[in-house]
This record gives sequence, structure tokens and C-alpha cells, in this order.
Amino acid sequence: MKRFLEPRILPAGGLIPMLVLVCVIVHAAGNQLIEGSLTEALVYMVMVVGLSIFVSNSGIISFGHVSFALVGAYASAWQTCCPGLRGVFMPGLPQILLDTNVPVMPAALAAALLATAVAAVAGIAITRLNAVAASIALLSLLFVVKTIYENWTSVTAGQGSLAGLPLYVGLWTALAWATGAIIAAQLYMNSAHGLRLRAIREEYAAARAAGIVVWRERMIGLVVSAFVFAIGGILFGHYLGTLAVSIYWLDMTFLTLAMLVVGGMRSLTGAVTGTLAVSAVREFLRAFERGFTVSGNTIQIPQGSQEIVLALALLLILVFRPQGIVGDYELGVPPPR
Amino acid sequence: MLVEVEDLEVRYGSVPAVRNVSFHVAEGEIVCFIGANGAGKSTTMLALAGVLHPTRGDIRIESRSVVGLAPEDITRLGIALVPEGRRIFGGLTVRENLIVASGIRGGITRQRSTLELIFELFPILHQRFDSRAGNLSGGEQQQLAIARALLTRPRLLIVDEPSLGLAPKFVELVYQIFAHLRSNGTTLLLVEQSMRRALSLADRVYLLKSGSMVLHGKAAELAERDDLEHIYFGGMAAP
Amino acid sequence: MNAIQLMIDALSLGSQYALVALGIGLIFGVMRMINFAQGDLIMLGAYALVVPTTADLAPPLIGKLPAVALIITVITITAGAGIVTERFAFRPLRRREADGATLLISSFAVGYLLQSIVLFVHTGRPKSVSIFADLTRQLELGGVRVAMIDIVTICVTALLLTAMVVFLRRLRWGIEMRAATEDFTMARILGVRADAVIALAFAIAGALAGILSLLYVAKTGVLDFRMGVPLAIAGFVGTVIGGMGSLVGAVLGGLFLGVASSLLQALLPEVLRPGRDAFLYGLVIFVLLVRPQGLFAGRNVGERT
Repeated sequence: MKRFLEPRILPAGGLIPMLVLVCVIVHAAGNQLIEGSLTEALVYMVMVVGLSIFVSNSGIISFGHVSFALVGAYASAWQTCCPGLRGVFMPGLPQILLDTNVPVMPAALAAALLATAVAAVAGIAITRLNAVAASIALLSLLFVVKTIYENWTSVTAGQGSLAGLPLYVGLWTALAWATGAIIAAQLYMNSAHGLRLRAIREEYAAARAAGIVVWRERMIGLVVSAFVFAIGGILFGHYLGTLAVSIYWLDMTFLTLAMLVVGGMRSLTGAVTGTLAVSAVREFLRAFERGFTVSGNTIQIPQGSQEIVLALALLLILVFRPQGIVGDYELGVPPPR
Repeated sequence: MLVEVEDLEVRYGSVPAVRNVSFHVAEGEIVCFIGANGAGKSTTMLALAGVLHPTRGDIRIESRSVVGLAPEDITRLGIALVPEGRRIFGGLTVRENLIVASGIRGGITRQRSTLELIFELFPILHQRFDSRAGNLSGGEQQQLAIARALLTRPRLLIVDEPSLGLAPKFVELVYQIFAHLRSNGTTLLLVEQSMRRALSLADRVYLLKSGSMVLHGKAAELAERDDLEHIYFGGMAAP
Repeated sequence: MNAIQLMIDALSLGSQYALVALGIGLIFGVMRMINFAQGDLIMLGAYALVVPTTADLAPPLIGKLPAVALIITVITITAGAGIVTERFAFRPLRRREADGATLLISSFAVGYLLQSIVLFVHTGRPKSVSIFADLTRQLELGGVRVAMIDIVTICVTALLLTAMVVFLRRLRWGIEMRAATEDFTMARILGVRADAVIALAFAIAGALAGILSLLYVAKTGVLDFRMGVPLAIAGFVGTVIGGMGSLVGAVLGGLFLGVASSLLQALLPEVLRPGRDAFLYGLVIFVLLVRPQGLFAGRNVGERT
């Protein structure tokens, strides 16, 4: 009883110090490449943790979260990108956006809120559907948003790329945001809403009988999840410095989903583990693709091996260990009886 | 011994629907499972047919264990299930429903004699041969469901709730058919809620309650007992 | 643009989408899984036409064969690839009784794998290929010029759909497939082999992908490792709008999508045109909400939660 009532600080309380430690070690090692990869991994972690807020608690697979990242990233660009030249790239923006340069932090938060609004509107329909239909609807949402942004040339530079986003995402910024994402996920998990959403996932009929309003809990989960995922998308844009609608499309959808599934779809620990694991493998393969010399011989694997390995890894996990690396396990939380 | 079931346990998720159930069916018998709704009768039949996998226990057909076999393989071993709710293919015609069932014995053209038997037992199916099965009445659908099962040339025919939702005249018809089938050598395992019907036709009866076997014996002997209703219902009126 | 030209265009696109939707609908019927990889099988068939090479210029491989041999070879390759994906990716998942969500992700992963392999072998640069060059001619039809390939697409689709109807109505395997689509477990209880009927669905869907790849390449002449994606999306949208679990619904849904897309493109004012796709994709959500059995489905379509 006491354990149930205590506010839970795990797994976040375990994961965050671990991440900080990893960052300190990598930074101390001084390798720019690896530090860059870790930064990128942390940015993805924000997205994957955001995804898991919805997927892990509701049990509903979402193929559409990248649409929130898309909306967020461009909204941040509208406020911060290419000062002085903004009107050239995106002439359709309202004058107030063309004139104002918002500092990056409030810009990110405002942008994420816009994405959240999109999620809320879409959620009106999506939360009323059953699990499989909701997944399909979320995928369709991705198509809809992508098509709109691709064609809305006056504010998005259409199918071209948008350069000049302020590059503020370094290792420590990414770590800070990842920490924030994990804390947010933990808070949601601990909350009554998280509990109710999981109840719906586990025992649909019983949850409804107990008075839980299904669509509302799913909506709350979706909206919180969208906010965090959008932040990840915004960070990604400011990490690259360039935006293109095509970045926020199927590759990113596949990668973030793969990270979550490989780690473990049902837990926060899974989200974090999966992101690190997949990022590590990608980095490893990237090194091999770049090639390196060992005692006079060059070892190199051809370009494009990364994607094949990733796809195969995901399939193997789905077949042989669908619960992912960590399964139902949550760091520091005793398994259910 | 045609079918032997030993210590069967079947779970839905973590909840056991059937526990410690053991029974047998000998060739030529009519055995009846009775019990109220939710007692686990249908679950047991689905496990026999291979649709549900038991978590514990054994199912043997002529001494050969069949746990884990696919439903299509168990049918080939001679067990045909007419499940609860009939489950005919509504979008297919009567003819097409029968064609699907005839597949395992080589197709409908090789089943002339069985088909003739079916038309004899169920003349309405001959009349409605090319009608959409979904347009048939409840009673007609039940006949189609049984006819389908017969096409698989079963040694054991399992019928789950044959009288559910049927008008009395159809129930009579169906039970006459069971008697006829028995006289032709088909072994029957019936699931019924109605105790009266069960006792009238069966050789032996098993009573299931909340997933466990609580009583079994020869129908004639059980019919003598006063406390049967009490054990079965615990309070409901007999149909 | 003249009304007849518009109609032919619309029907041609509708035919393509109907074929993809049919492939997706067949597999969905027996497995309750939307196979996103269907689009990538089309892509695979197209790339089979050229020699695997990372060079920009890809000399024809199967594309060199005479027409009949070419068609048969490509169809065999795509049908075979479909069967392989079923055997090694989807069957193991079925054995583990994977749920709908897992199947969805896995079909996505299979598609991604196919794309990655082709990307690896051929690089991401689009390549050009020419087959059935005669078909790029234009015909005079009632005083109007129409592209031969469009007519061929429409005719081939009509023939294929007729063949499908014959298969599903008259042949035992087709009847069993319809039964399995309606109630898979009951079909198994009656002796229908699950593995066989699913493999057959994948084989047919694969063959359809092969035919479509030929029609598509004959029309566009371009290979791109992502070319299957818009087709898969169209097939997916068509199937959902038309009715999942209903083959008729899927075909009509695909047809509707293609025709609507073409007509909207031609008839909408310039300003609204980009919204056309967004609107059509949005229809999916609308249909799921308001009429989940689809707009064109028959009476007996049930939805599995």
C-alpha cells in the first residue's frame, strides 16, 4: 500500500543520472564525432520518450507523431530562423512573425504548443476510434499534415529546404531537454491520468465500468505526448540548422518507432534504452561506412548498410522478442505479481 | 476410446475458464455437456477443436495427443465442431459454404453420397442451394452448419448449443437428425443448456459449473436424481 | 482538356490504385494486416527490369526480354518476393499470435527493408528505363488523342478484376479465400489450411504488384527506390475508404480515389489544388469515424477491434 502511494521517482531517478554520467564521460573523451552522435541520440530520445508517453500508456501504436514534430519545427523556424531573410524564404508569414525574432526557448515552447493544438484537434476524431483504427488514423494524419506543409509554399518553402535556423542544440542543451522529457514522462506515468490510461490498455471493459472516460484519457495522453515529441522535432531542426518537410516523414517515423520497439514499447526505460541502443548501432555502422584502417588494411562496409541492418534488427526483435530489450521491466520498479 | 481429455485447463489471459476437466467419449456414444452460461462448455469444445490452446492437460484422439495441433489438422483427424452461434459464411451461398467444408475430403464432386444424405436430412438446403447463406433463417443456418460439419466426414461431431435461438420445431428437427446420425454410426458430443433435452438423448452427461466438472454419469441414472436442478442452477427456473 | 481525355486519365489512375488496393485488401482479408510493403513489391518488380548497379545508367536486364517472357518473369519475381516476405517475416509473427499493432509495424519494417536493399544496390538516384515503347504512342479515339498506355492500363485492370471474380466465385481456392476473409477461424475448423490460404493471398498480391509495376514503368519510365510509397499510400487510403475486409470495397475505394484525385486535379481552381491530397487523406479519418465498414463495402463486413 505504501509503495503504491509513494510518489515514484523511478525510473526517471535512475535514468537521468545515468545519462548525465554518459554525457560527462563522452565529453571528457573529447571525440567530436561521438559527442555529435550522442547529441543527436539525445534529441531522438526526446522524441522517443514523447512517443512512449502515448504508446506505452495507451497501447496504441502511433505512426503519426512525426506530424507534430513537423508542425513544431516549422513553427519554431517561423519565429527564429534566418533573421533578415525570413521574408525571402517564407513570404506568406504574417508581418508580426517576419519582424519578430523570438528567443529560442520561448519559441520552442510556443511552437510545441501549436503542435499540441494540432494534436488536440486531430484527437477529437482519433480518440474515439478503437486501437487499430486509431493507429491508421494517426498515419493518415501524417499524410495530411505532410501534404499541407509540402504545398503551403509561402510559409514553408514547400519541397525545398530552409536554412538558417539558429544552431543552439549542443550536448548539454540536448541533455537538459532529454532530462525534461523523461521527467515529464515520469510525472505523467505517476499521475492519475497515466494510471487510468494504462487501466484502459490492460482491461478495457473493466476500466469503462469503473467510470473512466476513455476518449478523454487518450486525448490527454496524446496531447502531452505530442508536446514532448514536438520539442524533439524542434531540437532536431535546430541541431541540423536546416529544415525540409521530407526530413519529417517516413524515415523519422520508422527510426523513432524502431527505437521504441527495440527498447520496449511498454516502458519509459524501454524508450531510453532503445534510443541509446539503436543510436549506438547506427554510430557503429556509420564508422564502418566511413571506413577505417587497421594495420594497412581498410575495413569498410558500403553505404546504405545502416538502413538494412536497422530494418532487419527491427524485424528480428518483432519476431523473437516483441517486448523489446527491456520488456515490461521498468528501472527500479518491482515486476507485477 | 475415441476421445480422452485429461485435466484440461484453458485460460483467457490470466483467467482460467476451464480447470481440471477430464472426460472421455467412446465410439458410437452420445455424450452431453450441460451447464449454465459461462460454465466453460464452449471453451472446452474450442480446445478440443484446436482453436484454443490449453495451458495444462492433455487431449487424445485414439490415444494420440493432439494438443497444439492446428484446427485444420484436428478436423482431418475426424473431429468436427459446429460452434456456438453457427458461424456460417453469410456472404457465401449455401453451395459455397458446403464447398469450403468439402475441401478436406477432396472437393464436393467426390462427396456425392454425403451430399445426398445432407439433402435428405435437410431438404431446405437443397431448395436454397444458391441463396446467400446470410439470408437464411436461424433454423436453416443451423442446418447448414451441421451439414457443413458432416461434409468433413467426422468420426466425432461436436455441436455447441444446437437449440440456441431456434424455434421449437427446428429444435425437434435437429434432435431427430442427431438420433439419425447416431444410428448411422456417428459419435456425438453435444453442449446444451437445457437439461431436459440432454437427458432425453444422451448416453452420458457431464455437468460443468464455473469451469469445473461437478457431476457426471449415465443419463438414465442422473435423471433419477432429485438434487440435479439444485446443483445446476442454484436458483433459476428450468427451461 | 477534353472530357474524354479527362475520363481516360481518371480511369487510368483509378485502375492503378484499384490494383494496389486489391493487393492490400486480399492480404488484409486473410490476415487483418495492412501490408505497406505492397508498394515496395511494385518497386521491386520495376527494379528487376534493370541490371543491379550503382551506376547512374542502368542497362536493361529483364527489360531486354521479349514481351511475354518479360511479363512472366517480373510477375514471378514479385509473387515470389511476396511469398518470401510472408514465409520469413509474417508467418513467424502469426505463429506467435502477434497482435494487429505488431503486424502493422512489421509490414512497415518489411517495406523499409526492401527499400533499403534497393537503395543499397542501386543508390538513391532515379534511373530511367524504357519498356513497351510502343505504348507511349497516342491514339485517336473519337477525335481525341489519348495515351495508349492509359487504355492498356484500364483494359488490363478490367481483365484482372474479371479474373479475380472468376477465381473467387468458381474456384475452390477462391471460395475458401472468401470464407477465410469472412471468418478465418471457422474456415480452419472446416479444414482450410491457414498457411496455404495466406501464402496464396500473398502470391496473388505479389503478382498484381508485378503487373502494376510494368504498367507504371511503361508510363513513367523512371525508377526510384521510393516509388512504391505513394502507391502504397493510395492503396491504403483506397482500402480504408472503400472498406477493409471487403475485396469489392477495396477495389472500388481505390478506383474512387484515383478518379476523384484526377478529377479534382483537373477541375479545381489552381489555388485549391494542393489541398486535394490532404482532403483525400483526411477522408480516411472521416470514414473511420463515421462509417468504419467503408463506403463501398458489402453487407457482411465486420470490424475486428
